[in-house]
Amino acid sequence: MASSSMRQFRAMLRKDIVMELRTKEMLMSMGLYSLLTMVVYFVALSQAGAGFDPRDIAAGLLWLAFIFTSMLGLNRSLVHEKDQGCLEALLLSPVDRPVIFFAKAIGNLIFLLVVEALTIPVFAFLFLQGQAVDVSTVALIPLVLVAGSVGIAGVGTLLATMSVNTTGKDFVLAMLFIPLMYPLLLGAVTATAAAIIGGPEGVSLFWTGMAWVIGYDVIMLLASYGLYEFIVGA
Amino acid sequence: MKSHTTRAFIALAIGGVLTLAAFLGAFFWAGVPDFGFVRTAERTDSVRYQGPFDQEIDEARYLANFAGYDVEVTAGGETVRGDLVEADETHVTIETADGEVTVSAAEFETGRVRGSSYGRPDWGQKIFYFHVPVAEISFIVFGFAAFYSLRFIMTRKREYDTKARVSMEVTLMFVMLTMATGILWTKAAWGVWWDWEPRLTTYFIMTLLVVAYFVLRNSVEDEERRAMYAAVFSILGFIDAPISFFITRLIPSNHPVIERGGLEPPMLISFIIAQIGMIALGYAIYQLRMGEMLLKDRIESAKTQLER
Repeated sequence: MASSSMRQFRAMLRKDIVMELRTKEMLMSMGLYSLLTMVVYFVALSQAGAGFDPRDIAAGLLWLAFIFTSMLGLNRSLVHEKDQGCLEALLLSPVDRPVIFFAKAIGNLIFLLVVEALTIPVFAFLFLQGQAVDVSTVALIPLVLVAGSVGIAGVGTLLATMSVNTTGKDFVLAMLFIPLMYPLLLGAVTATAAAIIGGPEGVSLFWTGMAWVIGYDVIMLLASYGLYEFIVGA
Repeated sequence: MKSHTTRAFIALAIGGVLTLAAFLGAFFWAGVPDFGFVRTAERTDSVRYQGPFDQEIDEARYLANFAGYDVEVTAGGETVRGDLVEADETHVTIETADGEVTVSAAEFETGRVRGSSYGRPDWGQKIFYFHVPVAEISFIVFGFAAFYSLRFIMTRKREYDTKARVSMEVTLMFVMLTMATGILWTKAAWGVWWDWEPRLTTYFIMTLLVVAYFVLRNSVEDEERRAMYAAVFSILGFIDAPISFFITRLIPSNHPVIERGGLEPPMLISFIIAQIGMIALGYAIYQLRMGEMLLKDRIESAKTQLER
C-alpha cells in the first residue's frame, strides 16, 4: 500500500518536472519576475543616500521577492492543472488525496528553491558588492531558505488550489496568502537578517527565527495536510 | 424562526442594560487611575495633588529631572541642602543659603529629594471598559466561527455553514470596533495612532484574515464549494487568534496586560458587567442575523414552490 502511494507520488512529481522542463514556463516567469523585482528595488533604494547600509534590509528585500515570486508560481502551477483538466483526472484516479497534496507541494518547493538559489547571487551581486559579511553565519542561510520555502509551498499549494476556482484568482491568493504567511515571514526575515549581520548574537537570533519558522511549518503543514482533502474534493 | 427573534431581543435587552450599567459604573463609581506621575503642578487644570514626596537617590544622574526641588546631597562626608540648580552624570549644582555649591558625581554618596507629587488622571483608561470586552468577544466569536466550520467539514450540513458565516460577520463587527477604540487609545496613551507592536500587528493580521474570509466567500460561485473553502480558511485563520491573544505575555510588548488581582473592586465589577453585557450583545446580533438568514431561506423555498 505504502509503496503504491510512493509510486503515485513519484509519478505525479515526475509529471510536474517533465512538464516544466519542456515548457520552462514556471521557472522562466518566476526567475524573470524576481529579476524585475531587483530593478524595482534599485529604483526604490536609488535615493537612499551614501550612509545607507543595504545589509540592514537585505533580508527583508529577499523575502519580499520570494513571497511575490512564489505567489506567481503557485498560481501558475494550479492554473495549468485546472485548465488542462489534469486535476479532475487525478481526482478520478484511485490516488489518495494527501498524495496529491504532497506531490504538488514538493513540486512547488523544488521550483521555488531553484528560483531562490538563482535570485540570491543576483541580489548579492547587485546590492551587496563590497559589503563585509560574516561567512560563517551566511552559510546558515540555506537552512532558513529551505524551512521557509517548505511553509510557503505547503500552505501555498492549499491556498492556490482554492484560489484557482475563484473569480479573482491572483487577488484572492494574495489576500489569503499574505496574512497567513505573516508569522513565517517574520521568523524567516529575523533569521536571515541575523545571519547576514553575524556575530554571536546573530547566531542566537538566527535560531530564534528558525524556531518560529519550524514551529509554523509543523502546525500549518499538519493543518494543510489534513484539510487538503476537503478542498480538492469540493 | 420566531425563537431567534425572541432570543435576540431578550439578549439585546439584557446586554443593553448590563452594558449601560457597566458604563455608568465605569464612569461614576470606578476611580480614575493616575497616568504616570508628575512632580510639578504646571498643568493646574488637570493634575491632582497626591501628597508629599520624599525620595532617596543613589546616583547623581537620577537628580537630573528635579531642578528647583529641595534636595539634600551627601558627598565626601559633607551634607549640602538647598534648591537643585542642575544635575547630570558628571556633577550636581545646588543653590544653598551661602551661594551655589557644585559636587562632582564621583564624590556623590547619597541624596534625598523632597517636594509634592501630583498625578495626572488618566481619563483615556476609561476606554478599557469598552475596548477590552469587545476585543475578548472578537476572539470568542472567531472561535465559534472556527468551531462551526469544523462541524461543517465533519457533517456537511448547510446550517453549520450559515452559523459559521454569521459568527464571522459578528467577528468582523467586533474586530472593527476593537481596532477603532484601540487606535483612539494608542493616540491618547502613546501619542501615536499606530505602532507596529506585537499585539497590534497580530491583531491587524487577524483583521485581514477576517476580511479575507469574506473576499473568499464572495469570489466562489458554487455554493457547496464556497462553504467548504470558507470553512477550511476560517480554521487556518483561527490559528492566528491564540497567537494574538497570548503574544503580550510571550514577548516584550507595550500593550498593557491585566494582572490577576490588579483591579480595585469597583473597576473589576464594572469590567465584569461590561464583559457579560458585551457577550449578550454579541449573541443578540448573532441571533438577529440567524433569524434573517432563516427568513431568507423560507422566502427562497416559497419562491421555488410558487414557480412550480
